[in-house]
Amino acid sequence: MMQTDEVKKKDLTQKDTLLEVQNLKKYYPIHTGFFKRKTGDVKAVDDISLTLRKGETFGLVGESGCGKSTAGRTILRLTDATDGNIFFEGENITKVSGSKLRKARQDYQMVFQDPYASLNPKMMVGHLVDEPIRNYRNKSHKDLKPEVQHLLKRVGLREKDYYKYPHEFSGGQRQRIGIARALALNPKLIVADEPVSALDVSIQSQVLNLLKELQEEFDLTYLFIAHDLSVVKHMSDQIGVMYLGKMVEVGDNESIYREPLHPYTQALISAIPEPNPLIKKERIILKGDVPNPQNPPRGCVFHTRCPMAMEKCKEFVPQLKEVRPNHQVACLLYENQ
Amino acid sequence: MEPSTNQTVQLAPPKKKSLSQWGIARKKFVRNIPAMASLIFLFVVTALSMSASLLSDIDPSRINPRLVEVPPSAEHWLGADSAGRDIVTMLLYGGRTSLLIGFSCMTIIITIATIIGTISGYYGNIVDSILMRFTDFMMNFPFLIFVIVLQAIFVDSGVLALILVISLLSWTGAARVIRSKVMSEKENEYVLSAISIGTRPSKVMIKHILPNVMSTIIVQATLLLAAMIVAETGLSYLGFGVPVGTPSWGNMLQAARDPGTFENLWWIWLPPGLLITLTILSINFIGEGFKDAFNPKSKK
Repeated sequence: MMQTDEVKKKDLTQKDTLLEVQNLKKYYPIHTGFFKRKTGDVKAVDDISLTLRKGETFGLVGESGCGKSTAGRTILRLTDATDGNIFFEGENITKVSGSKLRKARQDYQMVFQDPYASLNPKMMVGHLVDEPIRNYRNKSHKDLKPEVQHLLKRVGLREKDYYKYPHEFSGGQRQRIGIARALALNPKLIVADEPVSALDVSIQSQVLNLLKELQEEFDLTYLFIAHDLSVVKHMSDQIGVMYLGKMVEVGDNESIYREPLHPYTQALISAIPEPNPLIKKERIILKGDVPNPQNPPRGCVFHTRCPMAMEKCKEFVPQLKEVRPNHQVACLLYENQ
Repeated sequence: MEPSTNQTVQLAPPKKKSLSQWGIARKKFVRNIPAMASLIFLFVVTALSMSASLLSDIDPSRINPRLVEVPPSAEHWLGADSAGRDIVTMLLYGGRTSLLIGFSCMTIIITIATIIGTISGYYGNIVDSILMRFTDFMMNFPFLIFVIVLQAIFVDSGVLALILVISLLSWTGAARVIRSKVMSEKENEYVLSAISIGTRPSKVMIKHILPNVMSTIIVQATLLLAAMIVAETGLSYLGFGVPVGTPSWGNMLQAARDPGTFENLWWIWLPPGLLITLTILSINFIGEGFKDAFNPKSKK
C-alpha cells in the first residue's frame, strides 16, 4: 500500500490538456411569490476556469457551500451549466445531450462523496460494478464476472465480495466499491467529489493511496474535490481555491503551499494542524460566516471576512492574475505586481 | 452458491449466504405471526374459492323451492337462502367472484399507478405537471355516483365491466403516493451515480428506483386489495355491483337488507359477512406485516 512520491516530479507543461473549463457558471434561479417570478440567482459557480493536463491531479478546495461539488457535477454534465464552456480532449461537451452525452460519459466518471448513499442498496456488489460496462457493451453478468472480480481485487476487496450487498460493508469498503465502479469503463478523467470526507481518518489514507496507485496504473487524470487542505496537498499537482463560487487562487501545489498569496488561502493553510506540538503555529482566524450566496457582497466577495481588506475591495472585483510563475491570484493586494 | 476456488485458504465458519434487503424483509415477515396466519388464511380462502366446482356439485344459481330458507343441517351445513340455494356452495363461488374482482382491480390499479407515479416523479417539471393534472382530473369523478350511473346504463355488462370501471376510477391515490416516494428516492446519490455511469433513464427507473420504492408499492397493493373487495361488496350490497345472478359475497349480503331475514335467518347473511370481515382483516394484517418487514428500523 505504500507508495513513493517520485512520479509527481514531471514536466507538467509538456503534457497535453485533457480538460479545459472556461468561465463556467452555474446559477440556480430563485423563484418567490405567488407567480413564482424569478427574483435572483444563487451563484453556486461563478465564472471559474481551469485546465487539467493528462495524468495530473487538480485539487479543488474551499469550505462547504462554496460550490466545489457543483463545479464537479457541472463539469461532468450531471447538471447543466448556465454559461461557459467545457472542453474534453478538445471537444466542447457543454451542450451535448441525449445518447451522445451518454456515450461521452464513458470517458469521465465520478467517485461520490457519501459511500452510503451512492450505492443502490438493492443491488449486489458484482452487479453494481458491472453495470457501467453493461451500459455500453451487450454482455451478461456471467461474462463480466472474471473482469469484475479482478477489479474488486484491484481495489482491495475480495473476490467473494461479488455476491454481497452494500449494507454488509464499512464506509471505506463501500468507497472502494465506488472506485471499482468508476474504473470499470477505463475512463480518462475521474472527478472525485470529497471521496474521503465521510471516512475515518485511518481509512482516509488507505483510500487516498489507492487512488494514487490507480492513477499511475490506469493513467488517470483526477479532479480532486476536498475541503481538507492536507489531503489536497498529498494528492494534487495543481490546486484551485474556491470561495463563494469564485476561484480566488490557482497554482502549482508547491507554490501555493510555499507562498499562499490570497488572504483566504493563507487562512486555510494556517488551519492545517501541525503534528509536532513543539512548533507554535500562528493561526489566522477568519471572523464571521460565509455570506449568503443569494446576496453576495459587492466588490471582492471575500472583503467581509478578509483581515487585509481595503476600502477599494468593497468596490472592485479582482480578476485572476498571474503574479508568480504558474500561480494566479484574484486579489487587489497584488494589483500592481 | 459460489464455487470454492478461493486460493487463499480461510478457515472461516460455514459461509452464510449474503442476504439482500429482500431476504431480510422476507425473514422478518415470516417471523410475524399475525401476518403469516393471515397469509395462510387468505391462501386457504383463495384456494377453496378457486376449486369451488370441485368441492361442491350443487349449481350455485339453481333455485330450489324445496330448500327455501332451511336452517343449517348435516346435508346443508349452512342451510339455504330464500331462493333455496345452498349457502356453502354460494360462499365458495361468491369468493371466486369477490376475490377475482379484488385481485384484478388491484393489479390494474397498481400497474397504472406505478407507471404514472414513477414517470411523473422521475422526470418532474412539465411531465409531472401534466400527469398530475390528469390525476387530479380523474380524482374529480365521484366514485360511487359514477359507478352507479355507469352500472345503471350498462346493466348487463357483467363482472369485467365492473372491474374496469372500479380500476379506472381508483388508481389516483396510489399514483400520488408512489410519485412522492419516487421523488424522494431519486434525490439519493445512487441515482445520480447511475446517470454518471451512463445508465439510460428507463433503466434508472426500472433497475434503481423501482426496487427501492417496491416496499411502498407492495403495501399500497395490499391496502388496495382490501379496499377493492370492500368496494365490490359495497356496490353489490346496494345492487349496483355484480349482476344479481352471479354469486358474490356482496350479493349474498343483500339478503340482510330485509329486516325479517336479518332478525330470524342469521345463516343467510352472517357467513358472507364474517368471511368478508376476516378476509379484509387478514389482508390488512399482511399489509402491516409488509410494512414492518420493509422498515429497516423494526427489530422483529
